Amino acid sequence: MVSKESAEAEALRREVRTWLEANLPEKWGTPEYVPPERFSQEAQDLGKSWTKRLYDAGYTGFNISKEYGGIERPAGEIAIILEELMRRGTPPGPQSLGLLMVVGTIMGWGQDWQKKRFISKILSGEESWCEGFSEPNAGSDLANVQTTAVRDGDEWVVNGQKCWTSMWKFADWSLLVVKTDLEAPRHRNLSYFIFDTTTPGFSRRPLRQMTGEVEFGEMFFDDMRIPHENMIGEEGRGWYVAMTTLASERSGGGMAMGGGGGMGMAAGAGMMGFGIGGVDSLIQLAKNTKRHGKAIWEDANFRQRIAQFAIENQATRYYGARLGVKMRQGTATGNEASIIKNSQAERRKLQGDMVMEIIGAYSQLMRGDPRAIDGGEQVYNMIRARGATIEMGTSEINRNIIAERILGLPRV
Amino acid sequence: MAIEFGLKEEQEMLKTMARDFLETECPKTAVRQLMEDEIGHSPELWKKMAEVGWMGLVFPEEYGGTGMNFRDLTILCEEMGRAVLPGPFFSTVLLVGMPILDFGTDEQKQEFLPKIANGEAVCTLAALEEDGDLWAEGISVKALQRGDEYIINGTKLFVPDARAADYMLVAARTKRTENPEEGITLFLVNAKEWGIYIQNLIIMDETRKQYEVRFTNVPVPARNIIGELHQGWPILKQIALKASAALCAELVAVGEWAVETTVAYMKERVQFGVVIGSFQALKHKAADMHVAMEYSRSLMEWAAECIKENHPDATMAVAMAKSYCGDSAKFVTDAGIQLHGGIGFTWDHDMHLYFKRARSNDTAFGDSNYYKEWIVNTLEANII
Repeated sequence: MVSKESAEAEALRREVRTWLEANLPEKWGTPEYVPPERFSQEAQDLGKSWTKRLYDAGYTGFNISKEYGGIERPAGEIAIILEELMRRGTPPGPQSLGLLMVVGTIMGWGQDWQKKRFISKILSGEESWCEGFSEPNAGSDLANVQTTAVRDGDEWVVNGQKCWTSMWKFADWSLLVVKTDLEAPRHRNLSYFIFDTTTPGFSRRPLRQMTGEVEFGEMFFDDMRIPHENMIGEEGRGWYVAMTTLASERSGGGMAMGGGGGMGMAAGAGMMGFGIGGVDSLIQLAKNTKRHGKAIWEDANFRQRIAQFAIENQATRYYGARLGVKMRQGTATGNEASIIKNSQAERRKLQGDMVMEIIGAYSQLMRGDPRAIDGGEQVYNMIRARGATIEMGTSEINRNIIAERILGLPRV
Repeated sequence: MAIEFGLKEEQEMLKTMARDFLETECPKTAVRQLMEDEIGHSPELWKKMAEVGWMGLVFPEEYGGTGMNFRDLTILCEEMGRAVLPGPFFSTVLLVGMPILDFGTDEQKQEFLPKIANGEAVCTLAALEEDGDLWAEGISVKALQRGDEYIINGTKLFVPDARAADYMLVAARTKRTENPEEGITLFLVNAKEWGIYIQNLIIMDETRKQYEVRFTNVPVPARNIIGELHQGWPILKQIALKASAALCAELVAVGEWAVETTVAYMKERVQFGVVIGSFQALKHKAADMHVAMEYSRSLMEWAAECIKENHPDATMAVAMAKSYCGDSAKFVTDAGIQLHGGIGFTWDHDMHLYFKRARSNDTAFGDSNYYKEWIVNTLEANII
């Protein structure tokens, strides 16, 4: 996609590109590059150091004031930086959860000391975070949280269990939604805390998922004590704080790079050209793969579906750009995040499925098999995508949000 | 690059004015009257539209216009789609006015644009033929030179608003070469000439009449060639580009009307003792409808802005928008009928007007599948 740009914009673009070449891991983007095993200590370390470099270069932490360690830049510059980072692809950062959820929540509801203490360390990658929301009996029905906290002087005593916690192993701090009022009605009985994961009474263990990996964990609280000052928002208002967290998370999707509110990132993503987003690689794969001696690319049905995939990529991006305009005008409600989250998750599944169709019998070969395509990455992505339409609010919960909060249909 | 989303203050004003005007001047009772009418054109309404400056909206002031841009024009088209406005605005402005503006000589612009702007000249495009496919090989109506005029013979099909038209822009073959795209010429023909026979098609979308038009030894002066002799094909492609963007604007409004109307009905229709909008299966359908139209609007605004800015991405943007908006408008108008139940299937309910307009707009200038094939071809060419 060709576009005319000012000399300043081009200079910034060159600056980012040069910086990326100098700072990305060796052999990055080449077939020789061997990434660290997912969810390993090595991956965590790489993510942390990468985040630190980005932060020091001024390429992250946007939309947050300098006072709290943010980096203030004009929207046009942010768009260029995000575009260049996405174009080149960068190491995944474990800091992404902090950027996605914690920053938006603390900036929106936190006390000043909390903003000063936590925000800059998230932006710079110094501290990692996880989220204690879901429980065995509180998935889509998040308000049904059973973990309790009972006030004892200046502290709260927490007992219960959380599950499906991303970044559970390396998190220095965690968000936590607990029931603090056993009598109050639903949605008014919860409070929101942050806690240090070295606190006595806290323990964690792995939860193995269908990819065979351990991405998530379970967290257990056995008379764990949290100081009262760690509460975010008011007592009994935890549900509403949690809604902010979830909206940031949903709209951010996989694009944590920008920092700050997730909607801003989605809007930033809206400015990208369509070379990225998997369409090019789908076409290449379909051209290079034969079935009965004929390239799959020749198949009319398949071509139509690739086109549809490209169109929907583009529609999501430009929806993000329109949302950016609405945010600047103050007419966005935040519920739009559900639209972006659902499309990203559903297209991720679709992309995985299309790749499997192309590679045929090879879609059965996982990492470790010498014949596996892309070292098994594609099969992994296809399997992992099943979680995408469940985590951060199932597609069905997000459709409820769209129907009830955007269209105003009655809640049951 | 100045691709802008959303509306500026003066664009909001244009939109509000257009909506008020059409609600007053062309309510559904008027739409239904025009559907019954063989010509489907109200000269009184046309005159009022000329008075508020709609036909000349994008023409420069020197040609009797108001010099607004293409994005402004699509705002007008959205409101016309929302009103399922019958009549020859689309044919006159998008199919003939725009190519005269873009490719006409100064004399042609002087002669025709002010007449279009002030409502004197209703125009249409005669491009498609028997095979119903807009491609160069499909054009076989012939124009033979005789002195300083050309004589046209042959039959055009799916010609919109032919009975209302004062002028027809006719795509005719003036030379047969190995390359079918070479040798097509566009003639602006006086529609009242002897030898032009117009036959109504019994058309599904009665808010947009279409006809068969037979040309038997119809003369047209050589000075009425728009663009160069034999070089009409690129102009037709340009007409298709802008017309498609305008059709997308209509499609978005058509779809948004269907979603609004359906959601409102879901809040009042009671079955099993509760409003049907409280049923989750229906809510999810409504959510999908909303998302389809939000995405359609995003692609349509991008396409309109690209045309306005003469951006190199314009053809890709229009192709993506046309494919997606067509599919989405068909989806939401179909779902709109389904969610209304029996009442949605009646002639009296307006949903079928939108359902049919969605389909005729999707078909016009290449449907969803046509554009998808074009898109993959182009993406492939860009990768290598």
